[in-house]
Amino acid sequence: MGILAEVSGNVTAIGYGLAAIGPGIGVGIIFGQGVQAIARQPEAYGLIRQNMLLGFVLTEALALIGLVAPFLFQAI
Amino acid sequence: MSAQERRPEEDGRDFADAMWSIPSYLLAGMAVYGGIGWLLDRWLDVSAFFPIGTVLGLILAGYLAYRKFSR
Amino acid sequence: MITLTAPAHGDEFGAPTPEELFNLAPVAGVEWFTKPVLLAVISAILVIGLTWAAFSSPKLVPRGVQNVVEYGYMFVRDQVARPFLGKDADRFMGLLVTLFFLVLVWNLLGVVPIAQFPVASHIAFPAVLAISIYVLKIYLGVKHQGAGGYFKNMMFPPGLPKPIYVLLSPIEFLSNMIIAPFTHAVRLFANMFAGHMLLAFFSMVGFHFLFVQLTPLGAPVGVVGVIMTIIFTGFEMFIQFLQAFLFAMLASMYIGGSLHAEH
Repeated sequence: MGILAEVSGNVTAIGYGLAAIGPGIGVGIIFGQGVQAIARQPEAYGLIRQNMLLGFVLTEALALIGLVAPFLFQAI
Repeated sequence: MSAQERRPEEDGRDFADAMWSIPSYLLAGMAVYGGIGWLLDRWLDVSAFFPIGTVLGLILAGYLAYRKFSR
Repeated sequence: MITLTAPAHGDEFGAPTPEELFNLAPVAGVEWFTKPVLLAVISAILVIGLTWAAFSSPKLVPRGVQNVVEYGYMFVRDQVARPFLGKDADRFMGLLVTLFFLVLVWNLLGVVPIAQFPVASHIAFPAVLAISIYVLKIYLGVKHQGAGGYFKNMMFPPGLPKPIYVLLSPIEFLSNMIIAPFTHAVRLFANMFAGHMLLAFFSMVGFHFLFVQLTPLGAPVGVVGVIMTIIFTGFEMFIQFLQAFLFAMLASMYIGGSLHAEH
């Protein structure tokens, strides 16, 4: 039957695709739960907002590490 | 902002502002310190400073964004 | 119609490559006059004509075209301009409405039959818009806060411990001066590029397995391709509207940021 499918190009693209799954879910959870928390307790807006920011920064950093990971491993 | 009365729209605007700025802060942090690390690598002929600089830049930029916007 | 005429290599299915989707032949023999340029000109004329028809002789009780365009204007004013510009909103409404409608028409041409090419999927077009917003941002910042004050407000946000400014102000500078306009253009470009690739891929699947090479095993795959094309066309229209809105919103955010010093 021969070859059914072949993949050409850079494998690191697949790597970044996989690495973006986790942060995607994480950002979704952070904002979903954050908005829910604000809706339940609007008076705690400041505190919730601060923690949403912290969580978003940390999760986004993971996604960006995934973006540069191929270059990092090339360098080492 | 000072302790003056704030309207909810202003809170929302600041929050949207923060959310749009954070990715570019993180990218800029990685670019600055990763770039410095890469140049150090080229200069000293080692390969450790680029990853260190990238992670350090991410941490610094995250700290900056957190301090700047969480008030 | 690009997506349907892309060449299938013999009997086997070949996914469309960016080269054959985006590197189009010149239209009228002139080398720079390609399909995206033609579509950009058409959409500019369309936007001018639409707003002209709506507002050249405005009625107190809007009817017809005026009704539709006025709804768009209200949307831009309430969702884009006022939240970020406050009392300066009316000064910049002309610019923001033009940006919003132009980018919206550019994007929607990606799903209009015969045209079927989102203009913004060539990075030159969003880049020009982003650069003009960037120049306006710096001009307004220097005008309203002074040359020194603008850069001082930008690079030294208050409320941080003193020694750490040495480490953080390069990040601030790079983020505001280079990364922000870059992501402004790339966000629009990448969404349109990826959306066009996706639509082209699924319609190629449908076309190949139902018309070029009809086999009992391949036919269900072709049907799935056609259904996915329909679903993704609807999804793509939503994305196109959202990206036009975001482009105008980020423009108004940058303008608002240089009008008033941050905190």
